[in-house]
Amino acid sequence: MFFSAFLASLPGAVANGIIWGIMAVGVYITYKVLDVADLTVDGSMSLGGSVLVVCVIGGVNIYLSMLIAFAAGCIAGLVTGVLHTKLGIPAILAGILTQLALYSINLNILGKSNQALNSDRYPLFISMRFTPKTILVCLGITVFLIAVLYWFFGTELGHSIRATGCNHAMAKANGINTNRNIIIGLLLSNGIVAVSGAMLAQYQGFTEVNMGRGAIVTGLAAVIIGDVNFGKIFKNFALRLLSTVAGGVIYYIVMTLVINLGMNTDDMKLFSSIIVALFLGIPYWKNKLAEKKVKPAKESDENA
Amino acid sequence: MLEIKGVHKTFNPNTINEKKALTGIDLTLSEGDFVTVIGGNGAGKSTLLNMIAGVYPVDCGRILIDGVDVTRLPEHKRAKYLGRVFQDPMTGTAADMQIDENLAIASRRGAMRTLRFGVTEKERAHYSELLKSLDLGLETRLSSKVGLLSGGQRQALTLIMATLKRPKVLLLDEHTAALDPKTAKKVLDMTEHIVARDNLTTLMITHNMADALRVGNRLIMMNNGKIIFDVSGEEKKNLTTADLLEKFKISAGEDLNNDRMLLS
Amino acid sequence: MKNVKRLSAFVLAAVFICMAFTSCSGGAKKYTIGICQLMKHDALDAATQGFIDAVNQELGEENVDIDTQIAGEAPVCTTIVNTFVSRKVDLIMANATDALQSAMQATKDIPIVATSITSYGVAMDVEDFSGKTGINVTGTSDLAPLDQQAAMIKEICPDTKTVGIIYCSSEANSLYQVQEITKELKELGITASPYSFSDAADLRPVVEKAISDNDVLYVPTDNTAANSTGIIDGVARPKKVPVFSGEEGICKGCGIVTLTIKYYDIGFQAGKMAAEILRDGKNPGDMEIAFAPQFTKEYNKEICEELGITVPSDYVAIGD
Repeated sequence: MFFSAFLASLPGAVANGIIWGIMAVGVYITYKVLDVADLTVDGSMSLGGSVLVVCVIGGVNIYLSMLIAFAAGCIAGLVTGVLHTKLGIPAILAGILTQLALYSINLNILGKSNQALNSDRYPLFISMRFTPKTILVCLGITVFLIAVLYWFFGTELGHSIRATGCNHAMAKANGINTNRNIIIGLLLSNGIVAVSGAMLAQYQGFTEVNMGRGAIVTGLAAVIIGDVNFGKIFKNFALRLLSTVAGGVIYYIVMTLVINLGMNTDDMKLFSSIIVALFLGIPYWKNKLAEKKVKPAKESDENA
Repeated sequence: MLEIKGVHKTFNPNTINEKKALTGIDLTLSEGDFVTVIGGNGAGKSTLLNMIAGVYPVDCGRILIDGVDVTRLPEHKRAKYLGRVFQDPMTGTAADMQIDENLAIASRRGAMRTLRFGVTEKERAHYSELLKSLDLGLETRLSSKVGLLSGGQRQALTLIMATLKRPKVLLLDEHTAALDPKTAKKVLDMTEHIVARDNLTTLMITHNMADALRVGNRLIMMNNGKIIFDVSGEEKKNLTTADLLEKFKISAGEDLNNDRMLLS
Repeated sequence: MKNVKRLSAFVLAAVFICMAFTSCSGGAKKYTIGICQLMKHDALDAATQGFIDAVNQELGEENVDIDTQIAGEAPVCTTIVNTFVSRKVDLIMANATDALQSAMQATKDIPIVATSITSYGVAMDVEDFSGKTGINVTGTSDLAPLDQQAAMIKEICPDTKTVGIIYCSSEANSLYQVQEITKELKELGITASPYSFSDAADLRPVVEKAISDNDVLYVPTDNTAANSTGIIDGVARPKKVPVFSGEEGICKGCGIVTLTIKYYDIGFQAGKMAAEILRDGKNPGDMEIAFAPQFTKEYNKEICEELGITVPSDYVAIGD
């Protein structure tokens, strides 16, 4: 009974997980590639949902609405980027400022705090109503997104963004405009997060101004779960993005399991935070312990 | 090739931590000059290189590279003219990126970063040849992450990157100081080889007096933000470390004080 | 690789343990009901309790298997109802707007009984809502009798010309109430102006502004306001400005009088409707959305005495 129920709820968990996994890909770009902790995502997730719902209800084509949601997310990222690079505000604070501002902006876009999106009235292409098709569509979007990002981060511009995240001094010494690249990275990341918000609004059939609250933690959890489980075998950039999406799926499968087990969902946020904190902390302690077991110095630099 | 006119720099002005780093620097390098820079702790050697590279703005004065006034250009725009190698081997390369990707980034120094492929097959073949000719054992490891290389290998790679696209001026900031003597010698030999091969205009800070005398065609000595001694050509060739210490004492009125200075 | 194995081993182990537990139960056919409540909150808790009591009373406690889940936030509702649907529960009870929206998106077949919804037309995005949904959804509304509340303001403070309405901008149902009572007040010749706040942090200046602009304040049924009545009271009482409220909890904290519904009542009513669907095979699409069976006129004794307001004798003091 439990087993079959859990199995039956897997497709929904997978669909939900992929949507949040796409959000996590956005987080991956800032957190892993740019090495910036961007808290804008909580706001841009809701922004994507708000923009999509308003567009669709206003009669805009659903695919065009997705593009508009992407563009809106990009603008949110641009704002954070400008606050950070042009006004010298620390990245975390810049993200919080934009996130806070987005609450008001989302309310203004939506005109209220919650808006239903009835899948009987609008031509949505993902919905809880048709989960199997939704999984296929979401997978398609994931593959497309990863392919585009893989290509992008292999271009000259993409290389320069990765170098910016990796080593500012090296990037500048090689003529790379690091400030511009941080803005591009934030822009791209928040655009992707907004697309995920737009997908979530369709999937759950409504949007809400607080929909993205805590999204950064879910996103980090997905990145970390993906990294811990597949990091050793997936070295390639595209596969790493894929493992991030898989991390989102695992996160939601565990969450579904937890709900099926009858655990109090009130504690879900606490668990997410603990899991993320543990996975962030474990590598640090591993290093600490490794340092204690100091090995005798070995002859190095033989090749240099 | 490089003209520095009346450059001053004070850090934390009007505070208790005020530090006059450069107090009127005038220096002109001709095409193909290989200048070694020595001086005591806090003499302003690194500040001078950072001013040329645009890490901080100057308080006053002008800096021209090949006749172009770069005084107000930000660091990343000046990079077009400059090749740089840092003291810390970690600084010059991107650890999470592959060797070929690092080289490709360096080869595009000063160029627009477009949406074309970041590194082409043709470039990879070229890099492989280049690394082979320098005998680093890296030609088969183009796809390795730079973070896996040793400090010496990373510094050698940084040097190659700095000179991959011919710089107007090559700035070397104690680039062998963090390496063990054997590796330091290898990197310095490679530096001389590349500078001679490409006839590069070079400014090299060093803590090793013997190196400062042996390498290059000109030597400057700095103290308290000023150039106190400038020697080149035949005169430099005939100098000894004892002469240098004596020169320092006369000009500065005190003994040369550099806790890393090697007299060997 | 090791981690992958470890994780899958953990998941499998967990699954088998749970199978072992659940397979022990069983027995006769029970009605399974999944309750999805948006968040922990006195009013919503009361509605859920009412629902459970009604269902147990109508169908017999031994014949129902109820799983109550509290989402905490909107996106979690999706996961919860998805679990219910895949478990093929016989009925889903959706407590609050986000829960209903998730549930109706998740299934077209399983009957859904909702409660604590202010306007079904708004929540379900249906134009010209007729009172019946026509689909697998029915339920009860927590809409306060706004026309009577407007009349109540006129009754207690006949000289009122302007009303400031305090509400939280992120509450799903508040805006609708604000719009409706504004219409009702306008018919009585009273001008109402909305004053929204986003959270407790900016409530005080909003209330101060509203007080300086208006004769009296009105606070609709609003969860965030209900949690911050101390702030409203702290500003309004010293200025002797009466606060009317849409429900009992707010009146208890900062109001003078209210005409309130009981969330337990609407939950109980929803429970009865659920029983009719499960036992009698009624079609939810044909069932009228139900409203609170009775309204209670209540007043806050302490504040009324301090403000020197005497209420008509049909009002009962809160707590009596």
